[in-house]
Amino acid sequence: METRKKLLEIKNLKQYFNVGKPNEVRAVDGISFDIYEGETLGLVGESGCGKSTTGRTIIRLYDATDGEVLYDGVNVHGKKSKEELKAFNHKMQMIFQDPYASLNPRMKVSDVIAEGIDIHGLAKTKEDRMNKVYELLETVGLNKEHANRYPHEFSGGQRQRIGIARALAVDPDFIIADEPISALDVSIQAQVVNLMKKLQKEKGLTYLFIAHDLSMVKYISDRIGVMYFGKLVELAPADELYNNPKHPYTQSLLSAIPLPDPISERSRKRKTYDPKMHNYQADESVELREVSPGHFVLCSEKEFEQYKK
Amino acid sequence: MAQFDEKISKDQFEPAIIDASTSERISKPSLNYWQDAWLRVRKNKGAIVSLVVIGILIIMALIGPSLSKFEFDKQNTKHANLPPRIEALENISWLPFDGTRTLKNGNVVNPYEQKQIEEYYWFGTDALGRDQFSRVWKGMQISLYIAFLAAFIDMVIGVAFGAISGYFGGRIDNIMQRIIEVLSGIPNLVIVILMIIVLKPGIISITVALTITGWVSMARVVRAQVLKLKNQEFVLASRTLGASHAKIIFKHLIPNLAGVIIINTMFTIPNAIFFEAFLSFIGLGLQEPLASLGTLIDEGFKSMIAFPYQMLVPAIIISVIMIAFNMIADGLRDALDPKMRD
Repeated sequence: METRKKLLEIKNLKQYFNVGKPNEVRAVDGISFDIYEGETLGLVGESGCGKSTTGRTIIRLYDATDGEVLYDGVNVHGKKSKEELKAFNHKMQMIFQDPYASLNPRMKVSDVIAEGIDIHGLAKTKEDRMNKVYELLETVGLNKEHANRYPHEFSGGQRQRIGIARALAVDPDFIIADEPISALDVSIQAQVVNLMKKLQKEKGLTYLFIAHDLSMVKYISDRIGVMYFGKLVELAPADELYNNPKHPYTQSLLSAIPLPDPISERSRKRKTYDPKMHNYQADESVELREVSPGHFVLCSEKEFEQYKK
Repeated sequence: MAQFDEKISKDQFEPAIIDASTSERISKPSLNYWQDAWLRVRKNKGAIVSLVVIGILIIMALIGPSLSKFEFDKQNTKHANLPPRIEALENISWLPFDGTRTLKNGNVVNPYEQKQIEEYYWFGTDALGRDQFSRVWKGMQISLYIAFLAAFIDMVIGVAFGAISGYFGGRIDNIMQRIIEVLSGIPNLVIVILMIIVLKPGIISITVALTITGWVSMARVVRAQVLKLKNQEFVLASRTLGASHAKIIFKHLIPNLAGVIIINTMFTIPNAIFFEAFLSFIGLGLQEPLASLGTLIDEGFKSMIAFPYQMLVPAIIISVIMIAFNMIADGLRDALDPKMRD
């Protein structure tokens, strides 16, 4: 584990909205984790826990309130020159949640996909540009003829693949996938996820995969982080997290997965989670601690001893 | 039942070819937004008729004054208050172009014969003997100037103000919105009267008044739409690709606003035309000897009972303009509004 290269280090990232006002929202409240090169980190949690905000803050759609995001050892936040920003946009890309809102309805598919190529000047001639677009379309399983169509002529799954092609156009190393499958039909979900897996293998991509579908996250992720109210409560390799959840919130989340088996389903007990059950004292320091190699849990010193057993 | 027992041999079947590339094909012809909108405008008969009417009126405004033999500001008091008379149509009894008028006591007289006038005044003459035909089309020119001015102001100032205010938000938005509130808080009429103190009444003061306030509603609509669009995922995607603000506004926001902008402009135009006519009617607008539809109606209104045609013709024309512009706007709204997509 330690020998792998850290591609992205997120240190104490905070994103507050309406700072100093009565309606202050602490969407992301000091989270830290690393993403290794070539892996897929799944990020799960309930609605409104700050998963999407984390993704958007990492890619600078929001200005972080506090904290650092190190990409290849370089901080990507703070004041940057235009060239530095462009270089950063070149490496990190995003796939969005809603395939119906993420493509400009007034632009042809070729222009949607070529937007990054144009901004970064990656094509020298018009022909070169179109060839790149065709290549990208074929990469995501669409035809050449689709280049001259408008987005409203496509289905949800096709649109999502166009969105993936747009992100791939600048040849990024790291892609944040912000619930890329939650707006799609189940049969199409597999298509998109398998495409993402295939691309990862071919291009050596690193993913931050944000989702709330636990079974899908387990399928695609190498490691999984669980978020609760702006905090990362547990981070572990996918199998370890599913087989040996430590944090009560993770246990609660896993107990909510329905099983396609009527006998065990009848006996499934839904655990509830109440943050008061920790009963943290004011002088206790609650932080992410490594209970077993690669398995981090948000806990106090006392709980840490318990979890280690 | 016997026919169902017949054996169907296997070689009559052919396995279906399942090919992923054919299932992704779209057979519908590709139409862009404007082609699609034009298909729907064409279905709206009222809008098409109005478009033709506006076209004819614009052509008449441009060539009308030179069709007539008389200058629009040439006075000829001997020919004052003549009713309309048109060459070929004067013999058709049910048309009002025979050069006669009915007196209060019911007698029908023909002033052309009484005064032994050979000329034909197609729309008659006014109290000073000026040719009404060239005056009406001259007035129409003023209305068209106002229409294009209003459209231009809306499209340039209104759109730019609204887009900047909505896109950048925060303190800029706050200040810009307060400016709009101050401007829209002052009634138009007050601004025009203040203008007249500084400038002379006329086309310049109307232009200035429209420039100051005409774009406010457009700015508000555009701002609201920009606020809605700027957090859409396609704009976020463009930002993550590193697009500049100008590129986002011009490539992503404005094209998506085009429908709203056009519809709003089309509804502003008749209002602006009416505003000018109204000002001219109450004497704050154009001054003699210049003609606008408003001043023509004002003059005709003074002798409405005796010479109704002097008011009727400009009144009909301004009504036709207003109705036609409104119907075009209506048709465009139906065509450009994506919610109506069928």
